[in-house]
Amino acid sequence: MTNHWIDIKNADVVIVIGCNPAENHPISFKWVQKAMENGGKMVVIDPRVTKSASLANLYAQIRPGTDLAFLGGIINYLLEKDLIQKEYVVEYTNAAYIVNKDFKFNNGLFSGYDAAKRSYDTKTWTYQLNDKGVPKQDKSLKDPQCVYQLMKAHYGRYTLEKVESVTGCPKDTILKVADMIGSTSKADKVATVMYAMGITQHTVGTQNVRALSILQLLLGNMGLAGGGINALRGESNVQGSTDHGLLYHILTGYLPAPNTQKHPTFAKYNETTPKTQDPMSINWWKERPKYLVSMLKAWYGDAAKKENDFCYDYLPKSSKGTPYMVVFEDMLKGIIKGAFYMGTNPIVGGPNANRSVKAMEKLDWLVAVDLWETDSSIFWKRKGVNPKDIKTEVFLLPAASSVEKEGSVSNSGRWAQWRFKAVKAPGQAKADLDIVDMVFREVRDLYKKEGGKFPDPILNATWNYTHPGEHEPDPRLVAKEINGYTTKDKKQMESFMDLKDDGSTASGCWIYCGSYTDENQMERRGLDEGFGKIGMFPEWSWCWPLNRRIIYNRAAVNRKGEPWDPKRPVIKWTGSKWKGDIVDGGPKFGPAQKNPFIMNSEGVGKLFSNGVNDGPFTEHFEPMESPVANGLNTQKVNPASLIMEGVKGNFGSSSQYPYIGTSYRVVEHWQAGAMTRNLPWLAELVPDMFCEISPSLAKTKGIKTGDRVTIYNGRGSVSAYALVTERVQPMKVQGKTVEMVGMIWHFGAGCAVSGDSCNMLTPSIGDANTMIPEFKAFLVNIRKEA
Amino acid sequence: MSGNAFLVDTTKCSGCRACQVACKQWNNLPAEKTKFFAGPEYTNPAELSAITFNHVKFFPVDMSNKEKPVWTIMHKKCYHCSIANCERVCPEKAIYKLEGWTVIDQDRCIGCGACVNACVYHVPHVLEEDLSQYGTEQPLRKYKSYKCHACTVNKRAVPACAKVCPMGALSYGPRHSLIKNAQERLEKVKGDFPKASIYGLDEFGGLGVITILKDAPETYGLPVNPKPIDITKIKEIHDTYALLDLFTFRNKMLKKAAYKLSNKMNV
Repeated sequence: MTNHWIDIKNADVVIVIGCNPAENHPISFKWVQKAMENGGKMVVIDPRVTKSASLANLYAQIRPGTDLAFLGGIINYLLEKDLIQKEYVVEYTNAAYIVNKDFKFNNGLFSGYDAAKRSYDTKTWTYQLNDKGVPKQDKSLKDPQCVYQLMKAHYGRYTLEKVESVTGCPKDTILKVADMIGSTSKADKVATVMYAMGITQHTVGTQNVRALSILQLLLGNMGLAGGGINALRGESNVQGSTDHGLLYHILTGYLPAPNTQKHPTFAKYNETTPKTQDPMSINWWKERPKYLVSMLKAWYGDAAKKENDFCYDYLPKSSKGTPYMVVFEDMLKGIIKGAFYMGTNPIVGGPNANRSVKAMEKLDWLVAVDLWETDSSIFWKRKGVNPKDIKTEVFLLPAASSVEKEGSVSNSGRWAQWRFKAVKAPGQAKADLDIVDMVFREVRDLYKKEGGKFPDPILNATWNYTHPGEHEPDPRLVAKEINGYTTKDKKQMESFMDLKDDGSTASGCWIYCGSYTDENQMERRGLDEGFGKIGMFPEWSWCWPLNRRIIYNRAAVNRKGEPWDPKRPVIKWTGSKWKGDIVDGGPKFGPAQKNPFIMNSEGVGKLFSNGVNDGPFTEHFEPMESPVANGLNTQKVNPASLIMEGVKGNFGSSSQYPYIGTSYRVVEHWQAGAMTRNLPWLAELVPDMFCEISPSLAKTKGIKTGDRVTIYNGRGSVSAYALVTERVQPMKVQGKTVEMVGMIWHFGAGCAVSGDSCNMLTPSIGDANTMIPEFKAFLVNIRKEA
Repeated sequence: MSGNAFLVDTTKCSGCRACQVACKQWNNLPAEKTKFFAGPEYTNPAELSAITFNHVKFFPVDMSNKEKPVWTIMHKKCYHCSIANCERVCPEKAIYKLEGWTVIDQDRCIGCGACVNACVYHVPHVLEEDLSQYGTEQPLRKYKSYKCHACTVNKRAVPACAKVCPMGALSYGPRHSLIKNAQERLEKVKGDFPKASIYGLDEFGGLGVITILKDAPETYGLPVNPKPIDITKIKEIHDTYALLDLFTFRNKMLKKAAYKLSNKMNV
């Protein structure tokens, strides 16, 4: 989130798209309701009438996988009617920047496309520079090659008629949504965007988020209280795990993970540090070498020296991207021999489950760490297989639950809150930290004893998390290392502004620098609401970066430093200093001196971006499996999405599988269900796998509520109860009626209550940037069971 | 009626059912064995029972305005009537008022089912089996009547259901101020729901649970102008029972039979 949970209450318009917070983030809805009590409006855009939709002021139904067409239509409407915050757009976005003359767009393809590689050369997605190397601008926005004019041409194709025919949403409804959102183009009116997996889990997931960001930039809603782009994280600490480099493409604090092509050496890595010639741009990423060196110092201690590039060579460098789906393809090929599952249940939670479980059979060993047996940990004794035929040796380690251990949890709003252990874990169950610690020590002992191919990174790793005389590691010692310290006298760092690239400082994750100074800031529980009375609560816990509650907050004020919205000020320039939230980019620069979007090398918000793999503007493509042709260009799926060799024949067509399948969650169950399907009170509420269909589809198929049905495609078949409900409505798309089968994905073969996993049906294809799987739109058929 | 009450606001409820689960947790009640869904939409189980003291009912969605679907989800538990039929009909005075709440003393209860039949809201239920590992102060016992006691038995300052509601759809506090809140809220929601109403102000002398509804009470199956049970009729049954009870020797099974007979004799 750019903002945070409580801040939702400040919104004049709450845009809920691709998420169902009333169901899946129920506490967030408390703040949505506060916004509505204050006169705010909520619009919900979703394929089905969700609990959130039922509480909204306005609901718009769209076909799964058509968010970009819908949002493209809204963007077009805002540009056409001039419902934009002009001053903000000119000053704080790249609308006025003049684009490279060779940049082109034609029929769904941007310049630089290589069809054989399914990827783009992005060298034309750039600006024209002046003699100082600074992008040329036309602040009148009239230059035909400026971003604003290119946008007008690009989005001009997204007419209301076109958008209606692609999305199935009636024109009148689109207009109402556009007017409601457009009402926040006034400087002192703000809309917030709440989104989750309904936006990201598509082959165009990143572009969906981009489209929402473009909207918010045009409306001048970024950086303000009640504004921003707010990803509702699906697990309590998924924000924390991403911050700490859990994903394949990043190290801690969003430093790029090194790969063999771009970053073979320390020098090459640092050559990719973002640069700018623009005096208005802070370009914060210029500090990157300091953060990398400080991380290496935290990891390798005294072994990390200037002479050896601070042990940069120890870092593994990937030769290809290894997102989840590639990992499982490699497992299937026998490349990956062993796996650790910590807090994951992939054959319920991952796509194409039948393929994944076949891949798991290729493993020599599997260690599952969980509270209970999960569907994945018992894959070797699942129905239909003979355990004797499966060679995998499986270990199940009992884990402590969240209330049985101490540590920090970072919520979606980036607040890192320290939690305490409430009760002792039962039996031999251990905290994840204890388990990792024990495994690390054993592995290190083995390296000590037996040598091995490359023992240095393990033998030189700093691993001092246990107090002398004790056996179990202390999470506080981990937190202190994450925060960082001076290497000479071991003083806790106060701020990442003080980190150095000479080895004199260590910090495990630069964005958490300041979280554990002399005191544990994450433990704070101060109740002062803080500046502006907008619910920032700066003394409650700690949030990254530097306890800044709203990021890009320089955009909350005009060039004079006056809040766009004086009723809900985030920061304010007094003429000599800043008041309010911790200002972005350092306090020494006044509002007229520097641009607000400090993480972009331009310093402004990018309506046109070269930071993505699949296009500087957003463009609608159909999901990999779709019942209709693309109404906006002749490309079918996102041309930059990776189609993995092994699954090329794995996709179905609408002639065999005419209905759109989609998946979602219910409040009663948690993710892959291992934690909730074992709890009787929750199982009482939702005891079985079920699907939701419209009365019209039910009639066609002779299905009644409570019937058992089979939902199937080429990848699998799922047995479920049918719930026939008006909340699912057929859609009129390109003159054709399209039906949808919605499924929950919490069920699997294990646990106290079990059922078929929806993910036996989902395809192995994902977003062109992140490879997040396309869980939200695929093709199925359905029949009533005899 | 005075003292505290609950306010259920169906215009705010998101159906998270935290109330239903918290009730089971704080009263240590077993889960019901369910299959799929027992009622409309996600309703599960179908109704209140001797082991389900509060319950969330999902009504079918109304799609007459596609841009503003209306989906009513309603929390239901004992309404804690000021003039409570169950209290009136109980031959053993096992049902009584505690701090304004209608509660059942299971030690006195003979499981006759008088309260079950008398409650127009179908709230109390007689347990048909011993569930010795469940319950709080006392284990759950066979042939005893059970229902919501507003967390008076587990002595919570704020009843568990109201405490956990994240939406402000279920609140707890002084009845007069909740009524004021309800009336203000009604005015606010009338724009969206012109037929919105408040239920529980006067029914049975005033209910301990006030409900803000999006439509008229009968839409949700709530009885309009219900009449308390006639005391004279009850008195006849109770007089007969008092006579027969002389021969039951405090045996609960005999008492139950005696009540059944008294009931029959006075129909």
